Amino acid sequence: MAAAVAGTALAAVGALGALRRTGRLGAGPAVAALGRRTRRLRVERGMAALGLAARGGARYASSAPRLFAAAGEHREQLRNDLALQTAEDVAATLGTMKGVLMKLGQMASYVNDGLTPAARRTLSRLQDSVPPMSPALAGQVVTEELGLPPEQAFATWDPEPIAAASIGQVHRAITHDGRAVAVKVQYPGIAETIEADLGNVALLRRMLKITVPSQDVDGLLAELRERVTEELDYRKEARNQQMFADYYRGHPTIVVPEIIGELSTRRVVTSELAQGARFAELTGWSQAERDLAAETIYRFVFRSLYEAHAFNGDPHPGNYLFHGGGRVTFLDFGLVKYFTDDEMRPLAAMVKHLCLDNDPQAFRRAMEEAGFLVRDAPLPTEMIVEHMAVFYDTVRVRGPIAMTGDYASAVTRRFFDFGSPLAAYVAIPRSYVILQRINLGLFALLGDLSATADWRRIAEEIWPFFQGPPSTPMGEAEAAWNSGKAGRGLPART
Amino acid sequence: MSAGPYADAAGLVERSAAAYASAVPDRPGDGGYFGPASVTWRVSGDLSAPVAGLRSLLMQALHPLAMAGVDQHSAWRRDPVGRLAATSAYTATVTYGDRAGADRAAHRVRAIHEHVRGVDAVTGLPYAAGDPPLLLWVHAALVDSALAAIDLFGTPLGEAEADRYVAEMAVAATLLGVPDEMVPATVAALGRYVADTRPYLRCTPAAAESMSYLLDPPGLDEEIAELWQDIRDAAVAALPDWARDMYGYPAPATLNPLTPTRRTEIRQTLGVLDAVFLAEPGVLEARQRISARMRG
Repeated sequence: MAAAVAGTALAAVGALGALRRTGRLGAGPAVAALGRRTRRLRVERGMAALGLAARGGARYASSAPRLFAAAGEHREQLRNDLALQTAEDVAATLGTMKGVLMKLGQMASYVNDGLTPAARRTLSRLQDSVPPMSPALAGQVVTEELGLPPEQAFATWDPEPIAAASIGQVHRAITHDGRAVAVKVQYPGIAETIEADLGNVALLRRMLKITVPSQDVDGLLAELRERVTEELDYRKEARNQQMFADYYRGHPTIVVPEIIGELSTRRVVTSELAQGARFAELTGWSQAERDLAAETIYRFVFRSLYEAHAFNGDPHPGNYLFHGGGRVTFLDFGLVKYFTDDEMRPLAAMVKHLCLDNDPQAFRRAMEEAGFLVRDAPLPTEMIVEHMAVFYDTVRVRGPIAMTGDYASAVTRRFFDFGSPLAAYVAIPRSYVILQRINLGLFALLGDLSATADWRRIAEEIWPFFQGPPSTPMGEAEAAWNSGKAGRGLPART
Repeated sequence: MSAGPYADAAGLVERSAAAYASAVPDRPGDGGYFGPASVTWRVSGDLSAPVAGLRSLLMQALHPLAMAGVDQHSAWRRDPVGRLAATSAYTATVTYGDRAGADRAAHRVRAIHEHVRGVDAVTGLPYAAGDPPLLLWVHAALVDSALAAIDLFGTPLGEAEADRYVAEMAVAATLLGVPDEMVPATVAALGRYVADTRPYLRCTPAAAESMSYLLDPPGLDEEIAELWQDIRDAAVAALPDWARDMYGYPAPATLNPLTPTRRTEIRQTLGVLDAVFLAEPGVLEARQRISARMRG
C-alpha cells in the first residue's frame, strides 16, 4: 500500500512534509541576498537550519511527486516554461473537476484495495500534470495575503518552490527574526473553482462509484467535500497544527513544527522548517530504529486520540520526518478530526470490553451505541466478535507483536469485506469515517516498518480506563513529560 | 451498401489518445500551417473539443455522398474506433505538425481518396471522395462544429477571433484539394455555405445507423460510457435544430434550455474526460509540448 500511497498521495498531502525533498541550498538565488540584513546573526542561524534542511536530494522539479513527464534537463526547462502564470492558468489546470479529482486521488490512496487500476492511473497522472506557480504568481498571492511582497514579508525568500502541495506549493524562507520556515502558498482562484466543482454531486457520485466501487459512496463524498472545503482555508490547518504543537511541546520524541501565526492567513501558512529523514530512508535503518520510530507514531496517534480527542487523519509516509532515537516530526495537519466525549465513550468502551473485560455482549452493545452495528441485528454475538477482532489483534494480549504487511492487508480485506453476513448490519457513522485511516493507514505504515513492540502494554499506558505504568524507555520519558505538563488535559477545540 | 455489423468501441479513448500523442511532434521543423499563436491551436486545445468532434461527425454524416463514401469504403463498420483514431491523428498532424508533416499526411489522405468512388444507393448519385464539394462539406461541418461547441461549452471566441479561426482553417481544406476560392473565410460566409448546402443533406439509413452507434457506442469502459452520455447530449444540443430534426432526435431534455448550471456541469464532465485522456500514455507529454510552444 505504501507504494501506492507514495504514488498518488505524496504530492497532495505532504505539503510541508514534502519539504524533505529539497535541493542543495548553496546555489539558490536566495543565498546571495543574505548578509545584508541587520539581524545578521539570527538570519545566519536560520540559514544554517535551512541549509541542513536542504541537504541531499534534488529540487522540486526532479524529485517532487509531481514529476514532469519529460526527462532530465529538458524537464527543468519545461517546468519553467509551463509554470502557472495567472489565475486563468490555474483554472485551466485545476478547474473543471481536476482539482477535485486530485483530492479524490489522495483520499482514495487510503482505500487502495477499493480503487480500480484505471482510476488509480488517472488520478496519479493528474498529479503529474500540474506545474508549479511561477515565482511571480506565488509572490502575488503572498502579497495579497500578507500585505507585503514576499521579499519584504520575509528576510529571505526563495522564489523557487521546493515542494508541491495539493492546492499550492511550498517555498523556503527566513523570517525577519531569523527563523527558517516553510511557507505554503495556495493557488489563486482555486477555492472558487473547487467549490463550484464540489457542487456537482451527481457527477462526483458517478466518479466515486466508478473509482472506488466497493466503497460507501455517500460517506466518501461527504468526506471529500468536508476535506476539500477545510483545506481551502489554511487557517484551519494552522490552528490544528498549533494545537498539536502546544500539546506536544517538550515531548521526548514527538515534534510538531510551530506555526508562525502572524505570517499565516487563508491562503498562506508559515511554519518552522523541519528536517530529518524521509520514510523511505527510515526503511533502510536498523530494525531497532524502525521499532522506535513506530512506537513514537503509535503513541502519537493514540495519545492524540484518547487524551486530546483529536485524530490527525493523514497517517501516510510523506507526513513524517525521522531523526533517530525514535524522534519523529509530524507534518501536515490539514485533516484533523476532533471527537466529542459522546463520540469517544463508545470507542473506548469497545476496546475495554473486548480487550480488557473480555465481555462480548458489552462489546456488542458499545458497537450498537456508536452506531457501528444495527441494534438487535439477527446475528450471533460470537460472529460479530470474530469479525471485528482483527482490528484489535495487536492489543488483545500482552507481549511483543510484529506488525506485518500481511496483517495490514488482512485488516484492509476485512474492512472491505462486504460479502460477510455482517455487511448488511454494520456501518461506519459519519463522525467515525476518518478513523478508518488508523486501520488502513497506520497499520500499513507500521507493517512497512515490520515494527515490533508490546503494543498492548503501550496501549495500556494510554487507555484512559487503564492508565498503566510506563512499559518502555520511551514510555518512561513520556510519563516524565506528561507529569510535568501544566494543565494536562484537553486543549481548546477548534 | 456494405451493411455489416459494427465492431464495438472498446479502446476508443486509448486509441484516440495514442493517435493524438504520436501526431504532436517533438521537434517540428517549423510552426506548421497554424502555429502556437493561432486561434486554431486555442480551439483545438479547448475543453469543448470532444463535443466539437462528435457534433462534426453528426453534421458530416448528413451529406449522403460523404456518408456513402465512409460507409462503403472505409473500415468504418469493421473498426470504427480505428477509423476515428486515424481521423484524430490526421487532424492533430495538420494542426500541430510542421508543414512537411502536414503535407505528407494530406498527400496520403488524397491518395486514399483516389480509390473512394462509387454510387450512393439512396440518392443514386455517383461520388468520389476527392470531389471538392464533398471535401468542403466535411471541412465546413468541422469548423462550424468547433465554433458551436466552444461557444456553448468552451471558452467562447470573440467575433474577430471566430472569423480568424474560419480563415485560418481554410488551409486544411485546400490541403485536401479544395480550391481556395471555394472555402469560406468568415463566419458569415461559412453560415451562408451551410445554409446553401442544407437542401442536399438528409439522414440516410447509413447515417442514422452510424450515428446511433456513435451516440451510444457499445463496449466502452464503464467510466467512459458514463461520461459519454453527457458528451452525446452536449453534441446533440449543439446541433442546428434542422439537423437534429433530420435525425429525429429530440433536443436533450437535460440541456433544453441550456442553463448556466447545466453548462457548468457539462464542462465538469469534459474536465473528467480530459483527466482520463491525460492519463493515457504520451498525452501529457504531447500537451506539454504544445503548451511549451504556445508559451514560446
